Amino acid sequence: MSDKDKIPKNKLTANVKAAGCAAKLGAAELARILARVPSKTTPELIAGIGNFEDAAVYKISDDIAIVETLDFFPPMVDDPYMFGQIAAANALSDIYAMGARPIFALNIVGFPTCDFDDDVLVDILRGGASQVEAAGAVIAGGHSIQLDEPVYGLAVTGLIKPSDMLTNGGAKPFDKLVLSKPIGTGVGLLGSKAEMLSSAAQDALFGSLTKLNATGLDAGRAYSIHALTDITGFGLAGHLHEMSKGSGLKARLNIRAVRLLPEVLELARQGLVPAGAYGNRESYKEAVHYIDKVELEFEDLIFDPQTSGGLLFAVGADDADALANDLLRIGFDASVIGQMLALEGSDKAGLVEIVFK
Amino acid sequence: MEKEIDLRGLVCPEPVIRTKKLLDDKSISKLEALVESEINVKNLARLARSQNISMSCSNEGTFYRIVFTRGEVQPLNFLEDLAIKEAQKETNKQRVGTVVFISKDTFGEGDRDFSVSLLNVFLQTMFDSGHKPRAILMANSGVKLMDPEGSVLPVLNSFLEAGCEVMACGLCLDYYKLKDSVPSDQVTNMFTICEYMMTADKVITP
Repeated sequence: MSDKDKIPKNKLTANVKAAGCAAKLGAAELARILARVPSKTTPELIAGIGNFEDAAVYKISDDIAIVETLDFFPPMVDDPYMFGQIAAANALSDIYAMGARPIFALNIVGFPTCDFDDDVLVDILRGGASQVEAAGAVIAGGHSIQLDEPVYGLAVTGLIKPSDMLTNGGAKPFDKLVLSKPIGTGVGLLGSKAEMLSSAAQDALFGSLTKLNATGLDAGRAYSIHALTDITGFGLAGHLHEMSKGSGLKARLNIRAVRLLPEVLELARQGLVPAGAYGNRESYKEAVHYIDKVELEFEDLIFDPQTSGGLLFAVGADDADALANDLLRIGFDASVIGQMLALEGSDKAGLVEIVFK
Repeated sequence: MEKEIDLRGLVCPEPVIRTKKLLDDKSISKLEALVESEINVKNLARLARSQNISMSCSNEGTFYRIVFTRGEVQPLNFLEDLAIKEAQKETNKQRVGTVVFISKDTFGEGDRDFSVSLLNVFLQTMFDSGHKPRAILMANSGVKLMDPEGSVLPVLNSFLEAGCEVMACGLCLDYYKLKDSVPSDQVTNMFTICEYMMTADKVITP
C-alpha cells in the first residue's frame, strides 16, 4: 500500500470491527470460560481473580506489596493522541482502585503499519506517556505486534503497604456511596460515532474519559475509605454488585443522584445502547431489584459498560457529602449516589436495590 | 410510501443511524428492516418507542425481520413481550397442526346474508366440538370477521382464549379499513401466512 492509500490520521476507528460496542468479553462468558481453567493461588496473593478485584496484589513483606494490572482495547475515538490518553487513564485507574500508586508501566501495542502512517502510533504512544508521566510513573518498555486493527493499552505496576490496600469488600452498613465521575461513556461513544452528540457533549465525554483518577484517590485519602473500586466494563450496577457482595451487604442506588454525561439519556432512549450493556443486564439480572419503576433508558445506563470510569467510594455516612464536595472542588463531577445496607429477610449479599428519589 | 432496508452486516451503531434517518422521513409510512442480531432488535425497539412508532419483529432463522408502522403507540411492555413471543413463535414453528384459512367472509356461495351467518355457525360448531386448530388465518374479505361490529368476533376470541392463534392479513385489514380495530399482535403479513400454510399438517378453507 502506498502512502497515499493510508487511512487518514484522524480516522483511527475506520476499520475497527468491535469498537466500544463489543470489544470486551461479557462477565457471564468470562466466568464460564475461567471455570474450566485450573487455577492455583498462593498466600502472598492478597487480592486477585477470585473476588473480581480491579488488580492483583502480591505481598512481598508486611510493608510492601506489588499491585499489577493490564488493560488494552481497540480505539473508541478517532484521535490517536486521545486514544492513548484514554487507554492509559483506564489502565492506571485499576491501580488507584486498590488505593495504590503506580510506579511504572509497559506498553501493549497491536498495529497495522500498512494501513496507518507512523505518526499515528507515535501519537497514541505520546498520549499514553503523557498520562503515565502525570501519574508520576514511567514507561519502562513494551511489546508490539502487527494486527489487522489497532489495539493499545498498558500493564501497570504499583506499590502499596498491604494494610493500606482498599478492596471492593470492607464496606459497612449505612456507609454512603460516592461516585467521582458521571456515567454513560459507552452510550456516549456510540453517539459520538453516530455523529449524534453536540460538540459540548462530546467535549464533556472526552474530558471525562481522559481524566486521571489519581487526584480523586488523593481526595478520598482525607477520609476513612471502607471500600473502593472503579467503574469500568461491568457498568455501575455490576460494580456495585461486586462491592456489596464482597462486603456481605446490599447496595441501594438512587438513580436520580447519579450524574449522567450530557445527552446520553436521550441517546439511550433512541436505541444507542452498546452490546455490552445488554450483556451486563443479563449477567446481573438476578442481583438488581427495582424498588421504584424507572424508565428503560435509566436501566440501560446503569448497565452501560464504562471506559475510564470514576472511582466508587464507600465511606462513613458523615464523610460522604464532604468527600463529594472535595471532589467537586478539584474538577470531578462527583455525587453521593446511594448507601450500603445490612441484609434483611431473604436478601442475598450483592443485591442492588434501585430507587428513584 | 413503503420502504425496505437490509441492515445485515452493519456494525453498531450504523443500523440505528440508518433506520432513524428513514423514520425521520414522514413520507415513509411503513418500513421493513432486516437485521442480524438480537442487540439490533433491542436497539431498534428503543428507537421505535422513542419516536412513537409501532414495531413488530419476526425471527427468520438467521436474521430478524422488523416492521415499523407509523401512527400507533408502542405498548410499554413491548420488550418483555418480544422475548416471550419470540420463544412462542419458535415452538409454534416446530408444532405442526391444522390451519384454518379464511379468505372470504362467507361460507360457500348463495344468498349473501345466509352465507355470512353459515360461516359463523361453522366456526361456532368447530369450537363447541372441541377442535382447536393451530391457527385461524384471515385474508381478503375474510378479515371482515375481525370487525368489532360483526357477529363472528366473539367466537374468534373464544379460539384465541383457548390458545389458538387468530391473525389477519395487515394489507387486507388496511384495504377494508379495519386495521385500527384489530390488536397489533393479531395483524400478520403474507410471509407469516405462507409459513403457517406450508408447515401445517392440513389447511382447511371453508
